[in-house]
Parts: sequence; structure tokens; C-alpha cells
Amino acid sequence: MLLDFNRLGGLRVALSAIAFLVGAFLLLPIVVIVLLSFGSSRYLQFPPPAWTLRWYEELFDNPDWLASFATSFEIAVVVAVAATLLGLMASFGLARGRFPGKEALRALFLTPMVMPVVVLAVALYAFFLRLQLNGTFVGFVIAHTIIALPFAIISISNALEGFDKSIEDAAVLCGASPLEAKLRVTLPAIRSGLFGAAIFSFLASWDEVVVAIFMASPDLQTLPVRIFSTLQQDLSPVIAAVSSILVALTVLLMAVAAIFRRGKPA
Amino acid sequence: MTTMTLTREAAVRAPRRMAGFWPTSPALMLLTVFFVAPVLGLLLRSVLEPQPGLQNYVEVFGSTTYLRVFVNTFVVATIVTVVTLMLAFPVAWFLAVAPRRWASLLFAVILLSMWTNLLTRTYAWMVLLQRTGIINKTLMGWGLIASPLPLINNLTGVTVGMTYIMLPFMVLPLQSTIRSLDPATFRAASLCGANRLQVFTRVFLPLAVPGIGAGVLMVFVMSLGYFVTPALLGGTSNMMLAELIAQLVQSLLNWGLAGAAALILLVVSLGIYAVQFRFFGFKAAGEVE
Repeated sequence: MLLDFNRLGGLRVALSAIAFLVGAFLLLPIVVIVLLSFGSSRYLQFPPPAWTLRWYEELFDNPDWLASFATSFEIAVVVAVAATLLGLMASFGLARGRFPGKEALRALFLTPMVMPVVVLAVALYAFFLRLQLNGTFVGFVIAHTIIALPFAIISISNALEGFDKSIEDAAVLCGASPLEAKLRVTLPAIRSGLFGAAIFSFLASWDEVVVAIFMASPDLQTLPVRIFSTLQQDLSPVIAAVSSILVALTVLLMAVAAIFRRGKPA
Repeated sequence: MTTMTLTREAAVRAPRRMAGFWPTSPALMLLTVFFVAPVLGLLLRSVLEPQPGLQNYVEVFGSTTYLRVFVNTFVVATIVTVVTLMLAFPVAWFLAVAPRRWASLLFAVILLSMWTNLLTRTYAWMVLLQRTGIINKTLMGWGLIASPLPLINNLTGVTVGMTYIMLPFMVLPLQSTIRSLDPATFRAASLCGANRLQVFTRVFLPLAVPGIGAGVLMVFVMSLGYFVTPALLGGTSNMMLAELIAQLVQSLLNWGLAGAAALILLVVSLGIYAVQFRFFGFKAAGEVE
């Protein structure tokens, strides 16, 4: 009865009301920011006194913002490729290997996901000071790959564990080389896991801010770093414009993911 | 690809007991050099700088300033966890039982909020909560308050902003637990004479404990080490541990103390995850993504 929506009685109203309010709580800030990005008030008055595209013009006229968009995108693409490749290999080892310390190794691979990012950020910052990697593209890629790797490994491992290895063995029996069997049978079968790994790794890097704040130099700033340092000075409406573009990208990504999921046999 | 051929060759040459280890080695090397070594290095500095000894730990635990940061960190993490649980439980319940259309709509909203850039969400709350923000303007417009409430750069701001960010991490494990419950158990309880409240407290809640535990521990640990939102929505008087570590490194260049604070944060966080791993297994701990 507590699990049957139609027999909840008064509770049904209460649950629905709370669900509605929490939904509004989650949605409204995002909606407000998108509306304000088209509002004319520099002080973010709501409702806006008039509508304008001024903040988007300011954004696109500013080479620093554009450079940060490009930097973030380039780093995230390289990280997605690197983390997916490393994650694929590591997942093969974790899923099929039989060696002592395998569970400890799995735990080590997942640790960057559960430990406080600020500790990793400070530690890497100190290390990179010596290697002079702070503020470099390579430095960002290394740091973000470490953060993205657990997501890639979880996604690929899940797919690999759901794949029956005897199909790969059958291909080998039918005359394929072991490598050919992996490339032409196993990889296509786990492609949704690989796709997920690439997406999650991309997002882990694209949204990462704490490590980036420490590592960034005036010349090389990812988008989150530029937003963070701007926010410490003022709540410029240009950030509302940047935010709205990011929200639009998120919605787009969710739509792609939904289509992708629908296309897959259940 | 190279590793796959490498696996083959290695399997022939390497001792049998390391079978399948080699593909993991590139990732292991990356983590050893750029993760394990730097973190150990930072922690070591806490007992080596400025001179070898435990003076950094004496200072951290002995000074009221740092003690206040610890207390504040735990207070904020606790408040955020409790508020998040209170909001997330009914939402998860709704998601698990409501008609599919409404549940998937709410689910989409939760995912949208979760996938929206962290700084975008924090910025939104800075705008909403500021002195001349929408919330204060609305309340004053309705005549409920005479002057703007201080909603930002204090505990209120941090709590609202962090609860907003943590909600999905509590809702998702909870709703998957509730969804997996067997309605027959509930029917059995009421056939045996339990009333609604008893079914709720004696059957529903105990069965939901794995989900509640997973969500609570995860949100609590994430809150303990959170940096961005407290830094932007919090005030100077209620600094949290992660901000302290950042400040010790960036402004004070006190690496010894930063290392000590980092070790404390790390031990507490990983300790709590170890407890969770012990009681709920690894699946629960890694369920977030």
C-alpha cells in the first residue's frame, strides 16, 4: 500500500506536493539565469526591465572568453580519448585478469573519484611546481585524466562484465586472431560502455574547477576558472550568458543521450 | 591495441600468476607518478616542514582558529546531509511509485540540474540570494520583511547552495532502493495488523536503510571536502576545511600546515568510505555516476 501510488490516500497529495516543490527548487535557478542572460539590467534585476542580446555580444567580442571555451574543449577532448583508452586497457585487466592484488588495484583506480578534490589539487600543484607543468596544456590533461579515469573504468568495466567472453572465443575458434576477435567482436559489443566512458570523461574535465583553479596561469585558463575568477569580483551578466550557453549544451547532450538510449534494444 | 598484442606476448613470457595484469599497467603508471606520489609527498611535508616533527599537527589541533574551521566543516556537512535527506526521501518515494509520466519528468529535471555546470548553479544562487536578489525583492514586495535578509556569505547561503548540489546524489541511490522493494512485504505487514505508521517505521524505513546509508555517507563526505560552493556562497567567518587548505597554500604558502589539514580531511573521508564499503559493498560506494 505504501508502494501503490493510487492507494496512498492523503500521502499521495503530500508526496506530489513535495516532489513538485523540489522539482521547482531544482529547475527555477537555471530558468532564472537563462532569462537574466537576455535581460537588460546590469544588476540582474528580475523580471528584467527590457530584453537584450548585449551580454552575448560582450561575450563573443571578448577574445579571453572565447579562448577559454576553446581551451576547455581541447583539454576535454584529449582527456576523453586518453581516459577511454587507458580505461579500456585497465578494464580488460580488471575484468579478465587473475592476479594477486586485483581488488586493491581496482580500489586504487577508483580512489580519485571519492577523495576530496582539493587534496589532489594541492598535491598536484606542488608536484607540478617542480616539473614546471602548472599552467600548461599537458599539466591540465594529466590532472583531468586522473580525475576522469574512474568514470571511464566504471563505464567500460560494466559493459565488459555484461559481455559473454565465449563469443570472443568463438570468433577465435572460427579463425580470427585474438586481436582481430577483440577489435571486431568485443569492442563493437561494448561500444555503449566506450561511448559512456568518453562522455563522462569529457564532462569530468569540462566541468572540473578545483584542480584547474590551482593550475591555471593568466595565459591558460579553462572556462570554469575564468568564471570562478570573474565571480570573485562581480556577478556580471556576461556570466549569465556563458551559463546559458552551458545549459543549452547540457540539454543538447541529454537529448542525444536519450535518443541513444532509445535506439538501443532494451 | 598495442597492449592487446602485448597481453598475448606477456602471457607467454610472464609467470602465470600475473595473467592479465599488463593491460592495467599504463593506468597504474599514470596514477603512481601523478597521483600516489604527489599525495604522499604533500602528506610527508606535514611532518617535514618547516622542520621534522609533529609541530604542524600540534598547531592544527591546538589553535582555536583551526578548531573552529573543523567544527564549522562538520556542522555544515551535517546540516546539508540532514536537509538533503529530508527533501530527497519523499522525492525518491515519489519517483519510485508515481505514474511513469510524472516520474520521468521529475527525473529529467534532476538530471538536468545535476549535469548543469557546477559554477552555473552556484552563480545562480549568488544571484538569487544576494541583497538585491529576487528572493529578498519578492519578500520585501510582499511586505513580509522590511529590510533585505542576509542570505549570502553566511551559513544560509552555503546550506542552500550545497543542498541544491547534493540533492541528486541522495535521490538517486534512495529511489533505486525504494524501487527494488517488494510490495508483498508491505501487504504482509498490513495483513498481520500493522497500521500505516507501523508499516512505514518497521518495514519501509528498515528496508530503505541501504539506500539511506549510501546517500547519507556520500553526501556527508562530499560536503566535508567541498571547495567551490562554500568559497563563493560562504562567508569569511564560517570557512570550511577545503578553503583553509587552499588558503594555506595560495596565500600563506604554509605547506606543512596544508599537508596536515589535507591528511586529516583525507583520513576522515576515506575512513567513512571504508565503513560504507564494509557495510554496503563497493557498488553502493560507486553508484553516483
